[in-house]
Parts: sequence; C-alpha cells; structure tokens
Amino acid sequence: MISLDQKYSKDSSIISREIAGDIILVPIRRNVGDLESIYTLNETAAFAWKLIDGVMTIEGIRDQIVSVYDVETEQAEKDIIELISKLINIGAVQRV
Amino acid sequence: MECAHIPKIRYADFSQEFNQKVSRMRIPAAGSMELTFRCNLRCKHCYISHGHSGIAGERELNLSEIQYIMDEIVDEGCLWFLLTGGEPLLRRDFQDIYLYAKKKGLLITLFTNGTMITPRVADFLAEWLPFSVELTLYGHTQETYEKVTGIPGSHARCRHGIELLIDRGVPLKLKTMVLTLNQHELWDMKIFAEDLKLDFRYDGIINPGIEDSKSPLSMRLPPEDFVELERIDEARSERLSKMFNERAGIKDQSRKLYRCLAGINGFHIDPYGKLSLCMLERKPEYDLRNGSFHEGWNTAIPKLREKEYGNGFRCIQCDLRLACSQCPAMSQLENKNPAIPVEYVCQVTQLRAKTFREKFTDNYQRVR
Repeated sequence: MISLDQKYSKDSSIISREIAGDIILVPIRRNVGDLESIYTLNETAAFAWKLIDGVMTIEGIRDQIVSVYDVETEQAEKDIIELISKLINIGAVQRV
Repeated sequence: MECAHIPKIRYADFSQEFNQKVSRMRIPAAGSMELTFRCNLRCKHCYISHGHSGIAGERELNLSEIQYIMDEIVDEGCLWFLLTGGEPLLRRDFQDIYLYAKKKGLLITLFTNGTMITPRVADFLAEWLPFSVELTLYGHTQETYEKVTGIPGSHARCRHGIELLIDRGVPLKLKTMVLTLNQHELWDMKIFAEDLKLDFRYDGIINPGIEDSKSPLSMRLPPEDFVELERIDEARSERLSKMFNERAGIKDQSRKLYRCLAGINGFHIDPYGKLSLCMLERKPEYDLRNGSFHEGWNTAIPKLREKEYGNGFRCIQCDLRLACSQCPAMSQLENKNPAIPVEYVCQVTQLRAKTFREKFTDNYQRVR
C-alpha cells in the first residue's frame, strides 16, 4: 500500500535517459523490463520521475505537481500513487 | 493535466516514432564503434585486412578514452550503440567497455563472429543482456566455413558460441555474406537459423577493403546468381517486389550526395577515435583524440551532409534510384569518386527491377 508519507528512490537496475524531450527507461540487468517493449514517460510522469530522489515524500511530489499543473490535489494524488505503483512493478523504484 | 503514466509501447513502434523525432532534431541517437580492427579470423572477403598487422592494437583507444567518448555521445543523445570490429571480443577490456556502455543506458548491439564466446563471456552477456547479438556465419559445413575464415577449428568454436548464447537466452540473430565460396550453403544456413528460431539475414554486396584492397571483390557472386538466390527466397522476393513496385519509376532529382541518415541521426567511430559519417564513409574524419564529439558532430559532420553531386551525375536520370542501394560511400571506396556509381550495384538493381517488377505484374492485373 502506497501512502503519502513514503519516500522512494530510483533503482540502479534501470537507467533513465532524457532524449529529444522524452524520458526513456532503459533496463540494464537481466529480468528487468522486457526487451520487446520499452517504457517511456509522458510529460507529467517525467516531471514526477525527476522528483523521486529518496528524500521527497509522495505528498511532496504531489504538491509539486499541483503547483505546476492545472490539476486538483485529489486527482494528482491518485495519479502519483498509480505512477509509483507501476514504477515498482517494473523495478524502477524502491521504497526507502 | 494529462495523468501521469508510463506507456509501455512495442519496441518497433517506439523505434519508428523516436527515429523520426531524433532525425528531425538531428540528434546522434544511433552510433557504432569499432573497438578494434584486429580479428582472430582471416576471412577472404573482409574489408579490414590491415587489422592483422601487429601495430593495429597499439593505436587503439584505451579504456578511459572510450569511456570519455561514451560520456560525450550519451550527453548528445545516443541511445542505440553498436559495438563491432574486427572481433570486439579480442579486446582484453571488452567487458569493462561493454559494462560501461550498459550503465550509461545505451541499447547495445554486438557484432561478433562467435568464435570467442566462452561460457564466461556468455554468462556475462546473459547477466547484462545486450539489445541484440548479431553473429556472422561464413558457411554451413566446416569445410566451407573454414575455407572462408582460413582458421582451422573456427567452425566448431562458432557453433559452440551459438549454443552457449542460446542456452542462456541471450537475444541472438544470425547473418551471412553470400560469397562465391559459400553461396551453395546459403539455404542450409537459413534453415539452421530457422530451426533454432533465430532471425537470419544475408547480403551479397561485398565492398573493397577500406585500405584500398580490391581482393574482397573476387568473392562477389555474379549479379545474376545473387538475384536468382533472392528470387527463390519467398520472403525476400515479396519484400523486393513490394519495394520495386512502390519506388521504381519515381524520379528523384535530388543532388544531395547523402540521402541516408548518416550524419542526421547516425555516426561511426573507428578504433583510433576517428569520427565519420558511417562505417563505409570514413573520410573526411574528425579526430576525437584532439576534439570533442560535440564539436565533431556539430561542425565537421554537417559540412559533409551539404555536399552535392556535380553535373553529369548519371543516377539522377535513373528511374530506379529510389529502389537502389547505391551510395556515395561505396562509390568512393570502389571508384575513388562518390559520384561514379558502383557498376555491380547498378547491375543488381537492374536485374532486381526486371525480376521483381515482372513478378509483381505477373501476379496482379494493372488497373491502368
């Protein structure tokens, strides 16, 4: 269960590359990701990804999103929790 | 606000869309690097014979120089990176080079002859999976393979290498150059690959050596024989028919020397740190030991892309130009002039047009 006070850090088994305005997640270890597919982050996810540093809480990331984008707090919270959940599933982040 | 999410997209879709984007923005997303010119085989058709000399290794970039260049190309947006040679596994520091590239987030393709794949190398590649390993076969039987490579025992070592990679699930593709020496075994090689459920491709356009040697050209099949092989290959025949139907007959009046993506999103670096447009077009070069990749990519390379053909360039009149694999780099290598087409390529294209356009019109009624 992901909660607002939790902190996450990026896993070293995934390298994020920012090329041509896209953020691409490149798995470097075996069994991470899927070679037939590739993961990219859309603009909002990329914004959140940059804030994941093992220090900022989910709540802090949510607040940053709300301050930059035209979105209700409740919606931003739902989105960031969903994003973290997906990032956990592909092994891109881990809880600190 | 668009909700934050991670689209997981099919690689093929990503590749196409991303390629278009980086080409528009002139980002060097697709690079290749020869780690060495040295090779443990002595293939008759090889275009790099000077790699056999003793001094070839002494001039090579060392590990820290390669790492520095990788830092630079990643900063500029490189994503796809081909490691090739010579035989790249000959380098004692291969694993250090490879691992550094992996950890920089490069998608690595490795070209190898497979004869130096030991259990240790295969374990390493299985742990740090490449995007792909492309392994060249030189023949199906030991006799033919070693007639091409000139090295006894190389066939068995190659086959063992293939087994080791397959056992460990390393993504592997097989390919060959069709030569006078191995053409009779092309289908055996294809079936061998298909039985292993591996992709297989082949090419027949042999180039002269990059140091002016014409000897590889003696390995070329007569154009009629090569196109006949293509004709009886159902999948290839279909692809060529489609291509000729779509592209033949369209006049292309462009005078630009380079019409491919070299220098637009692609680049090449040789073992001595020379940056060039591609693996075939090595001159002029930009020395990365005396300048930065950023400088080379943004100043030296664009000048090459601006070059145009002069008057009298014969391909501009040809209605097969868009279906032809003629390129100025091949012309430079073979004719010492980028504007003089390679006769062999021209003959292959003419024969393909005759074979595959006819094939197409045989099968379909023209509606007008």
